[in-house]
Amino acid sequence: MKKLLCLVTLLALAPLSSAEERPTFRLAWSIYVGWAPWDYAEHTGILAKWADRYGIAIELVQVNDYIESINQYTAGQFDAVTATNMDILTIAAASGVDSTALLVGDYSNGNDGIILRAGEPLSALAGARVHLVELSVSHYLLARALEGLGLEERDVEIVNMAEADLVAAWAGGTVPAVVTWNPMLMQLKDQADTALVFDSSALPGEILDLTVVKSDILEAHPELGKALTGAWYETLAQLQGPERADALAYMASVTGTDAESFARQLTTTHLFSTPAEALAFLESGQPRAIMQSVAEFSWSHGLYGPFAPDAGFVGIRFEDGSIWGDERNTQLRFSSDILRLAADDAL
Amino acid sequence: MRRLLNLQPSKPLRLALFLAPLGALLLAYLVFSDARLAENPQDRLLPAFSTMGDTLLRMATEPDRRSGELLFWLDTRVSLQRLALGVGLGALTALILGVASGLLPLAGASLSPFLAIIAMIPPLAILPILLIAFGVGELAKVLLIAIGVGPFIARDLEGRVRELPRELLIKAQTLGAGTWQTLWHVVLPQITPRLFDAIRLSLGAAWLFLIAAEAIASTEGLGYRIFLMRRYLAMDLILPYVAWMTLLAWLLDYGLRVLSRRLFPWYGAAGNKR
Amino acid sequence: MSELVLKNVGKRYGETVVLERLNLTLTAGDFCAVVGASGAGKSTFLKLLLSELQPSEGTITLGGRPLPPEPGPERGVVYQRYSVFPHLSVLDNVRFGLERTHGDPLFGRTWGARRRALRAEAEALVDAVGLSAARDRFPGALSGGMQQRLALAQTLALKPELLLLDEPFGALDPGNKKAAHDLLKTLWRDRGMTVVMVTHDLSEAFTLAKRVLVLDKTREDPHNPERYGASLTYDIPVDNGLPPREAAPRELSA
Repeated sequence: MKKLLCLVTLLALAPLSSAEERPTFRLAWSIYVGWAPWDYAEHTGILAKWADRYGIAIELVQVNDYIESINQYTAGQFDAVTATNMDILTIAAASGVDSTALLVGDYSNGNDGIILRAGEPLSALAGARVHLVELSVSHYLLARALEGLGLEERDVEIVNMAEADLVAAWAGGTVPAVVTWNPMLMQLKDQADTALVFDSSALPGEILDLTVVKSDILEAHPELGKALTGAWYETLAQLQGPERADALAYMASVTGTDAESFARQLTTTHLFSTPAEALAFLESGQPRAIMQSVAEFSWSHGLYGPFAPDAGFVGIRFEDGSIWGDERNTQLRFSSDILRLAADDAL
Repeated sequence: MRRLLNLQPSKPLRLALFLAPLGALLLAYLVFSDARLAENPQDRLLPAFSTMGDTLLRMATEPDRRSGELLFWLDTRVSLQRLALGVGLGALTALILGVASGLLPLAGASLSPFLAIIAMIPPLAILPILLIAFGVGELAKVLLIAIGVGPFIARDLEGRVRELPRELLIKAQTLGAGTWQTLWHVVLPQITPRLFDAIRLSLGAAWLFLIAAEAIASTEGLGYRIFLMRRYLAMDLILPYVAWMTLLAWLLDYGLRVLSRRLFPWYGAAGNKR
Repeated sequence: MSELVLKNVGKRYGETVVLERLNLTLTAGDFCAVVGASGAGKSTFLKLLLSELQPSEGTITLGGRPLPPEPGPERGVVYQRYSVFPHLSVLDNVRFGLERTHGDPLFGRTWGARRRALRAEAEALVDAVGLSAARDRFPGALSGGMQQRLALAQTLALKPELLLLDEPFGALDPGNKKAAHDLLKTLWRDRGMTVVMVTHDLSEAFTLAKRVLVLDKTREDPHNPERYGASLTYDIPVDNGLPPREAAPRELSA
């Protein structure tokens, strides 16, 4: 049966590979300030240039629903995807899709936040009805904020709500508390009756925006990792260089906002602009503490499914080769091999 | 050889033809599920039937760690309650508006075009307005369902009232009934079984709006659980939930059909005469 | 019982003239049949007598008073179809008019002794039209002939001054039709009411009625066929029992 499936897959891909002799890979991305550089890289030809250099083709596909993009990656539609550390852990890695965080693009430094009605302090969260996308990064942020207050999740009432509806629901006036991310967070902050009482700048490095590749594919085709890494840092370099204004305007337009508000979102996004910065973060040991905290949250909220015995159900391998959790079930890897080449300008 | 259009299946063949597509669907699922699981035992996209059974059993019999509730039954109860309230409210309003518009030319002059326009508005497109006007509580969910099915039922009933033989309305007047008594003793009794038909037809849409409503803002419900679990691809829970919702929808439809036959024994007989 | 008088009655829709110059006097207890070709305005004529339509010109009086502008219990009607309420049992169909005219103003319901008296009255009528065995059945379960007998009983319960019949037996097979004719004749003789029956069946008209009226166009405009409407062209007295052709027609207008 497996052979049959392979055959079917091969037949389906046949026209692609015959038209283009070199291997083709698909990267799914969804609209978010930290991932907009991918679209710019394709737009300017940077991505194609790096793919050419390594003799491969990279197809960038925009998926309008963020979770759906990870689901499709997990189901096998894509070779690579943009995702946060928590979602890639709970959706892909927990489903047995071994994934490697090729690029640690940025961490949320205020892109996620908790909004209350004006004048309310953070402690007013106790007993409130909190509206958020349940089991998302927002949920994690809330859990961390409550921890800081010495409260637990059962001290608030959590109402699940699609991110697209949060702003309208807030405007209705009956919603006392919202946890969300940008650009919704910015829209809410700009309204009169709001107080931003907690945001991700209090948790530096905990909410990571990654570009992830399937580990087996990366192993078989390291050139994919190299091409993606090269294209990424060349794009980020343009963001700091003379092309900055053009780049900002373009990325603003693809994310459906204007350059000014895109620049504002960028200020709450801590970009690792150079390979050296990303490397320093990976080597700091901080990822280990972060991933442990995220894994514990995920397990305690049932995100690993009914059969996970403990928070270490999914093994996570770090840059130094150490593994946290179940070694036999290592499904998420942080790797710096290609990053080092980039830092040494050896790509 | 008889013509294809004259060939009738025999009883066993009819059963086989009924089961064939369902069986093929199940078989295809099994084949692809096994193939995926052979490749990756942790695959969640097409879980094995045993996994789905375990998950459903756990949801139905083991109290939730956080709330202590049996989530499966809680979700079912809450969703059915929302569905009943929404459809009930929508149908009642539709009955009043539809009958008024169909029976009274004065009311129809204003209501008929209004209903035609309202029925064209996709309720999901004006969701933000509903959220702002009615908040995010139970009211908004019930109203979304009511607004979703109400105009459709109202227009259907309006047409049904206009289809009532003119003779019967004249007859009622020659037998001493005024507007109100004609409405009460002639129009309402004859339109109620048609209301049941319209409700059955709109139940599909009602489920859709229920799920949409529960995706907006919820703490429990069948649609809520499906949307939540979708976040981490828990198809072992989503697929049994979908099957359960299908069964519930079928049961509701069947129940309404039986109830209608019990309550209006004259309806089928008179319908056949027409 | 009262006299029905039509004076110079006409009905037009814009330029289209359907009926014109209708003059007729029906004395109490008359039984007249109105015949005419399809499209001659028979049903418009009936609708005028029911007040379902208002005449464009002329006057109609019943018992010396102008005809009420809306249908009411002084005039009863039996149609070819849809004469009885499908959602009510045979007995409840007959009780319908009695309850509405004797009941409370809001819902038209009666209670107690009066309710029982009206029920007994309705049961007697059901017996009179031979439907006692079917008293609790719904009309959908009755044959066409039984339905029309029920319609007669339902209408007669209110003892209308004027009974209007619109092709009442048109859908019945010959055997049922004969039985229905006999019943109608008996009821008419016993109750002495005024009856106007519209029919396209000439033999039925001459079998049942004392007078047969013919609706037809007397003037034709070949370039504009809608310019002139139909009028009552013949008023034929029928001596019951004699074959229709031997009655001497009397021309009303040329």
